[in-house]
Amino acid sequence: MTAAIFLGLRIVLALALYLFLWRVLQTLRREVESHGVFLAAQIKPGIQVEAKMENGAEHHYRFKQTEVVIGRSLHCDISLSDEALSASHARLSYHHGQWWLEDMESTNGTFLNTHRIVVPTVLVTGDQFRCGNTLFSLRVDLADGRISQGIQNEIGGST
Amino acid sequence: MRGNIQASLLKLAGLFLVLQASLITLSPIVRERSWGAVPLWTHWLALLVWGILILRVQRAFAKSLPDADPYLFPVAAFLSGWGMLTIWRLEPAYGARQALWLFLSVLVFMAGMQLTSLKFLQRYKYILLVGGLGLTTLTLIFGTSPSGVGPRLWLGAWNIYFQPSEPLKLILIVYLAAYFSDKLPYRLKIVHILYPTMILGGIMILLLAAQRDLGTASIFLALYAMIAYLATNRRRLIVISVLTLVVMGIAGYYFVNIVQIRVETWLYPWNDPQGGSYQVIQSLIAIANGGVEGRGPGLGNPGLVPVALSDFVYAAIAEETGLIGTVGMLALFGILFARGIRAALHAPDIFRRLLAGGVSAYFGLQTILIVGGNTRLLPLTGVTLPFVSYGGSSLFTSFTALLLLLLVSNPVDEEPAPLENPAPFFALHRFLLLGLFVCALCTGWWALVRGPDLLSRTDNLRRVIAEKYVPRGAILDRSNSPISVTSGAVGSLRRRYLYTDLAPVVGYNEATYGQAGLESALDGYLRGLQGSPASTIWLNRLLYGTSPPGLDVRLSIDLPLQSRADHLMIGKKGAVILLDAGSGEILVMASHPTFDANRLIETGAGLLADPDKPLINRPALGLYPTDTVVRPFAEALYASANLSREQWQTVYEKFGFLRSPPLQMETVSSVSTAVEFYVSPLQMALASAALCNGGEVPAPRIVLAVNTPREGWVVLPAEGTPMKVGQPSAMTEAALSYAVQEGSFWSYIGTARDDVSSVTWFIGGTLPSWQASPLTLVLLLEEDDPLEAGRIGGELLGALTNP
Repeated sequence: MTAAIFLGLRIVLALALYLFLWRVLQTLRREVESHGVFLAAQIKPGIQVEAKMENGAEHHYRFKQTEVVIGRSLHCDISLSDEALSASHARLSYHHGQWWLEDMESTNGTFLNTHRIVVPTVLVTGDQFRCGNTLFSLRVDLADGRISQGIQNEIGGST
Repeated sequence: MRGNIQASLLKLAGLFLVLQASLITLSPIVRERSWGAVPLWTHWLALLVWGILILRVQRAFAKSLPDADPYLFPVAAFLSGWGMLTIWRLEPAYGARQALWLFLSVLVFMAGMQLTSLKFLQRYKYILLVGGLGLTTLTLIFGTSPSGVGPRLWLGAWNIYFQPSEPLKLILIVYLAAYFSDKLPYRLKIVHILYPTMILGGIMILLLAAQRDLGTASIFLALYAMIAYLATNRRRLIVISVLTLVVMGIAGYYFVNIVQIRVETWLYPWNDPQGGSYQVIQSLIAIANGGVEGRGPGLGNPGLVPVALSDFVYAAIAEETGLIGTVGMLALFGILFARGIRAALHAPDIFRRLLAGGVSAYFGLQTILIVGGNTRLLPLTGVTLPFVSYGGSSLFTSFTALLLLLLVSNPVDEEPAPLENPAPFFALHRFLLLGLFVCALCTGWWALVRGPDLLSRTDNLRRVIAEKYVPRGAILDRSNSPISVTSGAVGSLRRRYLYTDLAPVVGYNEATYGQAGLESALDGYLRGLQGSPASTIWLNRLLYGTSPPGLDVRLSIDLPLQSRADHLMIGKKGAVILLDAGSGEILVMASHPTFDANRLIETGAGLLADPDKPLINRPALGLYPTDTVVRPFAEALYASANLSREQWQTVYEKFGFLRSPPLQMETVSSVSTAVEFYVSPLQMALASAALCNGGEVPAPRIVLAVNTPREGWVVLPAEGTPMKVGQPSAMTEAALSYAVQEGSFWSYIGTARDDVSSVTWFIGGTLPSWQASPLTLVLLLEEDDPLEAGRIGGELLGALTNP
């Protein structure tokens, strides 16, 4: 009789050990899932880019993705036939809650407000930068997708 | 969220420990199978200490380390509680000490939780290092060993001992992490980075080698290599270190005694099971005894493994919780390593990253080394199992290391530092988890595949202990008079040998001297492992960890006749066998001089050394020269004693002299030399039976039946079959030619001698005119005295024929 109770307790003991391990696995799985959901739910603000080329042509772009490559190559997100552009010239990317501009070792360099950039640099609405002979200006959307108030005023003012 | 995970895991750990403590409390009742047994209560004190400490720490977490990793502390708490209860169950006094050490370690741990920065470690790395080295150097001069034997690695006063090499491991990790994180940004050549650390590391390793603490020295080398690899991502470093370890091992094998012993006991443990490999083999037996399900907390005998408290705590846990428990425990260690590496990857700067990586490697190496040592995967190194093993220095160091991991994992809104190449961290992670997996496989190998072999070894003392709790079957004579019985209270059952003169035949079952005779040959029945239903055996093993109650066996020995033979043989050296020539049943089997198996503990050493060899079962195992004594057999077959060599060979073969008699116990076959032919009295008796029963060598029997629980007495048949020798008439004629005038029996007396001694044989038996079943008697005296042989033999045969 005692032996049967003892055996029962031994089984519960083993169950307690494996319940602990199961709990760890379960919470780890939940952590991974919630981390993924959290990352997916983070709203990435889009950007609008205006490109003014040397010949006076103007292009207007709007992007939802988190990475935009500028260059002469047709594979680029912003592909322009500017002789002074490299094939893949510069990259705009969103991380750490900011949009960053990064030169992709282009021949002629990327200039932010006349300064040549060598390290990834944070961009804010209204910043102008030059790749080759093309001048770009940038507007960052609000998190919910609307254009920020300041820019709207700016747009309103200019029109 | 974080706090909730930690709290719920701690509750589960607490549940496990409460269950384990309850099991330990109940274990004496199950072991003795009676409510009268005294339950164990003191270990609840350890659990109380554990509970209070954990509650306090859990409260401090919310305040001081709210964002620290929620898995690390519950795992450490689980392991330390498990270890402490196991230690208490083994040795309550050491359990109490461990509880005290846990209290002190957690106190320091809680104080450390207030630290907001680890910068001071980085800054004062040299002071720490010099301090640690200084303390370790002191052990060279003032070192002692608490147990009195082995390397003197401790500093002690007032009966409290501390092993500086334990925290020195942590100091090495801090120093290397700090050094590499300072130097890395400058990108010096690898040699420039390495050589200052190599010098310091080398000093440490030499220091430990001087102390002969080689396990720790190899851990230092491995830690050094791993941290350097994490910092520099040069795989060459690992290769170089492995080579260094191998070279050190080989050099150590040839020049350092202790290394040679460790390596030899690892490679060839079975050569010396009572000496150097005693620990390892006992550890493997403990693991085998645990099997899959374990014997249950408090029900195993892990105390049989030397140093079960510290070095072999894993074997103790394996015995009591089985593979189920050890796999769970290794999984707990796996969580510890994985979360440690995760903390390293998420660390906000290189110093803390290397620190967490180093601490994880420290936990991992210790665990794999000692679990590997316990399971004979690796040579035995006297390192401790983190959090589990007994030892203040070890527990303190483990908790301090855990504190470092937790401090690193508690991010204060900092981004992880950039990581150039994650490969070394992934490699470390994979290596540690693979190591645990191999350890689990190895445990399973000993528990399952090799388990039955290991458990049936004679140096498995669990059998002897189990026999104090489970009655062994009785050995009875042919009319159920007891010869050997087990009696006493459960827990102190004792084997008693009631008819002591049969000792060389019946043998003994004793802790120091093992088993002999029928006690050994019939062990399966006497321990209930043969003849019991498989379900009974399985259930008894599952519930009590023992074999089922033993079964009684009935021998063919007739005690009244036996005692008459023994009486006649008092003071003589020799053997008597009385055989039922028809059925082959042995009625008397006497071997003199004899001994008292009840007093084996006091007399055993003397008996082993006695030149008269009283322990030998002479009738079955003694070999004696024959000379002319085989004459009647020759005459029965060829009607002449002048035979060619081939004809003699035929005589020997036909009468069964050339095989060991197929008895239910050990027998020997004849031996022939250039000048002499040696046979055992049993062989002689079987041959002469053929002259009494009309030409058939019977199959001998000494065990008649076994009393099984389901079917009652079950007859055990003879192991061999009778052999036809020749014409019945020729056999009878030969017997009749030696008939004694006045009686109804025949006899032949002959002496035989070789270079060392001379013996007298008396062979005889009943004649065909005998109405009851035919009997044959063989008597051997280890002296040249035909008259005395004739007197004893005649008296015995006379007693039979004229009762």
